[in-house]
Amino acid sequence: MNAMIYRKKGALFLFLIPSLIFMAVFLYYPFVMNIINSFLHITALGDKALGVNQPWYENYVKLFQDTLMGVALKNTFLMMLLPIVFQVGIALVLALLVDNIRFGTQFFRTAFFFPIVISASALGLMFNLVFLYDGGMINQLLQALHLQQANLPVDWKDKSHALATMFIPVCWQYVGFYFVILATGLNNISQELYEAAEIDGATKMQCIGHITLPLLRNTLCTCLVLAITGALKVFDLPWVMFPSGMPMDTTWLTGTYMYQQAWKLGDVDYSSTIAIEFVVLVVVLSQAASRVFKEKEY
Amino acid sequence: MKRILAMVLSVLMAASVFTGCGGSKSAATESKSETPSAAATGKKVSLDVVTSYGGDDGNRKNYEAAVKAWEQKTGNTIRDSSGTGNEDWKVKVMNSFEVGSEPDVLFFFNGADSNKLVKNKKVVSIDEIRKQYPDYAKNMREDMLGASPVDGKNYSIPVNGYWESMFVNTKVLKDCGITVPMVGYTYDQFLKDCEIIKNKGYTPIAASLAEVPNYWFEFLAYNYMSPKTFNTMPQSVTDDAGKAWINGLNDLKELFEKGYFPKNTNSTTDADTNNLMAKNKAAFMIDGSWKVGWFEENMKEDMDGDGKPDIENIDVVFPPVKGSTRASTDYIGGISMGYFITTKAWNNPEKRDACVDFVSHMTQDDVVSTFCSAGSISALKNGVTSPSTASPLVKKVNEMNKKVTGISAAVEDLMDNKSVRTPFFADVKNMVTGKLDITKAVGDVIAAQKAFEAQTSNSSEAS
Repeated sequence: MNAMIYRKKGALFLFLIPSLIFMAVFLYYPFVMNIINSFLHITALGDKALGVNQPWYENYVKLFQDTLMGVALKNTFLMMLLPIVFQVGIALVLALLVDNIRFGTQFFRTAFFFPIVISASALGLMFNLVFLYDGGMINQLLQALHLQQANLPVDWKDKSHALATMFIPVCWQYVGFYFVILATGLNNISQELYEAAEIDGATKMQCIGHITLPLLRNTLCTCLVLAITGALKVFDLPWVMFPSGMPMDTTWLTGTYMYQQAWKLGDVDYSSTIAIEFVVLVVVLSQAASRVFKEKEY
Repeated sequence: MKRILAMVLSVLMAASVFTGCGGSKSAATESKSETPSAAATGKKVSLDVVTSYGGDDGNRKNYEAAVKAWEQKTGNTIRDSSGTGNEDWKVKVMNSFEVGSEPDVLFFFNGADSNKLVKNKKVVSIDEIRKQYPDYAKNMREDMLGASPVDGKNYSIPVNGYWESMFVNTKVLKDCGITVPMVGYTYDQFLKDCEIIKNKGYTPIAASLAEVPNYWFEFLAYNYMSPKTFNTMPQSVTDDAGKAWINGLNDLKELFEKGYFPKNTNSTTDADTNNLMAKNKAAFMIDGSWKVGWFEENMKEDMDGDGKPDIENIDVVFPPVKGSTRASTDYIGGISMGYFITTKAWNNPEKRDACVDFVSHMTQDDVVSTFCSAGSISALKNGVTSPSTASPLVKKVNEMNKKVTGISAAVEDLMDNKSVRTPFFADVKNMVTGKLDITKAVGDVIAAQKAFEAQTSNSSEAS
């Protein structure tokens, strides 16, 4: 009898059904409706469609002609590439440094992980003060060091600085997250390998190049895939710091532009089209990232 | 036996997912039934209320005090979700109706902004309420309630009206050797003053063209119209209103090109530019009556060390006038907001009495008088009772209001918020930087408003 309950899998399906229904109602059904909505003319959330667009693929044509959508896509791709260097890269360097110190490891882990527990909106407000034009932290610091005249502060949110000002906090926010994953990965590498290498006369850099990085490859790949897919979905911090594509429509991301169209301009059908494009982008790039950074069996 | 037990457990777990759904259905059924009112049963209720008295609104404290008094009097409670009455807030309010999470009582704009609420029968008319509560809003002047543009019926009860005018920092002006503008202040004199202020190292105009270009647009376009003609949506770029809009925007572009706005005006927020006034770094700011409270709150200390509260550095005057189409003492104002009772709350017998009682309390004479302490106008039949103590800025506001010769409602309220107004004002930054031709932009906004009106009339006919 005991053996029977494990052999018959029917009960397990019953346990899976609630989750499946939940996913179907709150994910798959809205997604299908989203596809349908992209062909209709809807002027407000919750309102009935006023009819089918003329032509029905109007929004898809608009998607390719919309210059602001181009800006959003360009920025989103940048946002996807930068974490490779500035999130995972910095996290790797920090993890290697912390792995080589004897004391304070736990302190650094906590200190670097801390930004993760702060909400993105709070971080956005904090960085708004850091980059403030009139009396902001950076401008005050530059003035105190006599690197800037008091009456000529730098506008860190103007067209020439805006993207960097937006990317820095976003990248910084998640460095600690990847740092913790990589530090854990480093802990799993056997010390015996390093000791053997030292006996053979290997330098620290050689140990990193020939032992640490190859054995950390799978962890690094996971981090890179997470960083790339996570960056595509970034919304809150850029929106708090640069609402409505400020300045001069230069800081749009696919997420923020979609939000603007749906919630602020009431163009629900066009925002549905952006959402579909966004989903396609995320699926394709996630798959590509998973293949490029495929884990290896050792 | 264990197999049966496992099956039963599975079914129970699957069924538990729908427990919440079942509950809400029965609640909805109950609400439609003939349930006695909360007042009849003595049951206390909780009302969801949304107003624009949140954030830094000057009447926030008055609002909170009035709500608290009502709660103490009735034993009912208010779940307040008030915010700052800006464009974002308007969008959030409309979105709450669209997704079915509207409040029970709403303090909102009674012009074109609420057209959709009226058309979709999301709010209850005062006539409808008076069938059951004959004394509802009887203390108000009927002609000032703010009838809906949709059907001419009254849906809301106003509290205090608004005005828009120009705040000046007298300390900055004094340092620049400029006298505080008086009645008759001309646009040419204003340009000269701005040049002096700029050369002295101050910011002449505190405004974020990225976020709040509307006040300057309103007054600069108003310069080419009169109080009688201004509140008209242009029908073409060549009619009087169209020309006024184009001329006003060209003047705005000129002010931007001359460097009179903050250097970061296209990348900064309204809050940051307000601080320029508070820190004595900017001279002029056009804003509304709601900003009086912000100055009172943020400039009550003596931060500049001159021995008096900083708010004494702030004065309020009529904006500069160009030409003679409008008088220099004409400004923008009116009663544009009021308390609505939503249909959802009205159809809930448990909340109906409480909603009517709450709105009646918030619009009674003595409560309205406290809200008008910053020199606002009201719709009270008996008029407002002036406060015995008023801040220096309020006294200056009252002085200005005594000189008003003409009032026009803000023209931006004629435009649909989401599809017309938001994109139009978002494009002001492109107009002043020359990326977008001003005549084309005005032509586009006229076309967008016409398309919106055609679309809403079609959907009304269809429904």
